[in-house]
Amino acid sequence: MTRPRLPISSMLMTPPLLAILALGLAPLAIVVIWSFWSWDPLTYWIKPDLSLAGYAGILEAGRWTVIVSTLVKAFATAFLCLLIAYPTAYAIHFLAGRRLSILLLALITIPFFTSYLIRSFSWRLVLGRTGVINTLLLDLGITQEPLDWLLFSNFAVVVGLIASYLPFATFPLLLSMRRVDPTLLAAAQDLGAGFWKCLTTVLLPLTLSGIFAGFLFVFVMVVGSSTEVQMLGGAGASIVSVMINDVMRVANYPLAFAISTIVLAVIFGLVLIGNRLFGLASLFEDRSP
Amino acid sequence: MMIREGLSNRILLWAITLVGLIVIYAPPLYLLAVSFNPALQPGLPSLSDLSVQWYLALPKETALMAALQQSALIATVTAFLATGMALLAALAYFELRAQRTAWFLAVILPMFVPGVIQGLALSAVFTRTGIKASSLTVIGGHLLWAMPFAFIVILTSFAAVRRSYLVAASDLGATRWRQFVDITLPLIRPGLVSAFIFSFLLSLNEFTRAFYLAGRQNTLPVVLFGKMNSGASPVIYALSGAIFMVSVACVAFIAIRSVVAKATPGTGQERRS
Repeated sequence: MTRPRLPISSMLMTPPLLAILALGLAPLAIVVIWSFWSWDPLTYWIKPDLSLAGYAGILEAGRWTVIVSTLVKAFATAFLCLLIAYPTAYAIHFLAGRRLSILLLALITIPFFTSYLIRSFSWRLVLGRTGVINTLLLDLGITQEPLDWLLFSNFAVVVGLIASYLPFATFPLLLSMRRVDPTLLAAAQDLGAGFWKCLTTVLLPLTLSGIFAGFLFVFVMVVGSSTEVQMLGGAGASIVSVMINDVMRVANYPLAFAISTIVLAVIFGLVLIGNRLFGLASLFEDRSP
Repeated sequence: MMIREGLSNRILLWAITLVGLIVIYAPPLYLLAVSFNPALQPGLPSLSDLSVQWYLALPKETALMAALQQSALIATVTAFLATGMALLAALAYFELRAQRTAWFLAVILPMFVPGVIQGLALSAVFTRTGIKASSLTVIGGHLLWAMPFAFIVILTSFAAVRRSYLVAASDLGATRWRQFVDITLPLIRPGLVSAFIFSFLLSLNEFTRAFYLAGRQNTLPVVLFGKMNSGASPVIYALSGAIFMVSVACVAFIAIRSVVAKATPGTGQERRS
């Protein structure tokens, strides 16, 4: 390439960059700035200030426990998703024939583009007192009474979260498996390694970036989720996004944005660390010329 | 294939895969089945009395239909903007060298911003700058949500554009613009169509951002959310089922088209050995 590159690339970049700055960065700047403003509980009025009242509010009314329980839910969901997604990615990449692998690929793509609201809502029909599972358990005589803890509970929330975000773990795993040189696995087997030995000593280390990316994506999506808790959680159930929503009922921007700032710091921190350690961008690049 | 897993391990792997698919698909498919049940109580319909009566009742639900119209409009505009912006972003990505990763992250990061935070913060920006909530503000919120997905789809579709094609065209005297129109654009067209459809679906089904950004006319997911929590009715099942079917059909269309494209030689799809 002999032509100057810079002008063209900056011309191309300008429209998307403006959109990202106006619709992405400006709101985030407001989040951080307003989190230091002060809020008057009598008038619901906010004014410019340099106050830590918003952050202090996080420690009140058990709000920090919601943050902790969100992180626990995110960790548990991400871990469970990996347990399901790794075999799925393996089956798609190594076991399935061409047609079946395309079908499976389509099946794990579809959830990204269907309504999380509708999919969460549909669990109500399955887990409710008169839902599929309780009806089945009663008919089979396994229980005498319908199980109450199936719906509107943490159990329902985690199940709903797994159903919502499982493909976020499967995709990076699949991408990382595609980058593994199959001759390495064949060599290991020729040297006498069984399947599990081969899996733990060759495939798992080589797909570490996919494992981390999958975990990260699910973790981050759960931290930002709200629909699953709103649809499936119990009476007092909360998650960070729902808590922010609740705080906003009294227009307490500083508190809502203080919580948001902490959430964003955790999310961006994890994504950037992940990128530094494993090069998340390269996961999507392997097919570029 | 290359690895000998052994029968029991293979069964285990497939069983877990199946569990994952059941967790994802069983509930919405059950809801879909319920929506064809003429009874008021949710339950599986018997094959003899499958009915589309709840679907036929949909047009009479004026609130839902107005919301659906609003959502379709917003999704269409969002899809156009997101695809165009993502194409520019992808072209810029290949022009860049050293700052590639930074640009990639800049485009992708909005995907990780929780919907509640983005919606709330954007509505604060709009309020401060005197912009009234309307379909435009929702489009603003949805654009940033759909763009990262469109970007990744278009980026992967660039695999079809080999550097040698462009170099050859350049040697034959084609300008950058000509190279783009005659070589790049036809090769990535499937990616653009996919990006458009994906962006459309993401916007159509987005709930949290629209919740904060919608003006007087709410979008469909916001209206659905309200109705789901105030006692679900069979009409809600029908509309949910219909939206779910449309979404699945769209993705299936893209999948089938890509299979057909790969089966026909000479479409430029690079195949990895």
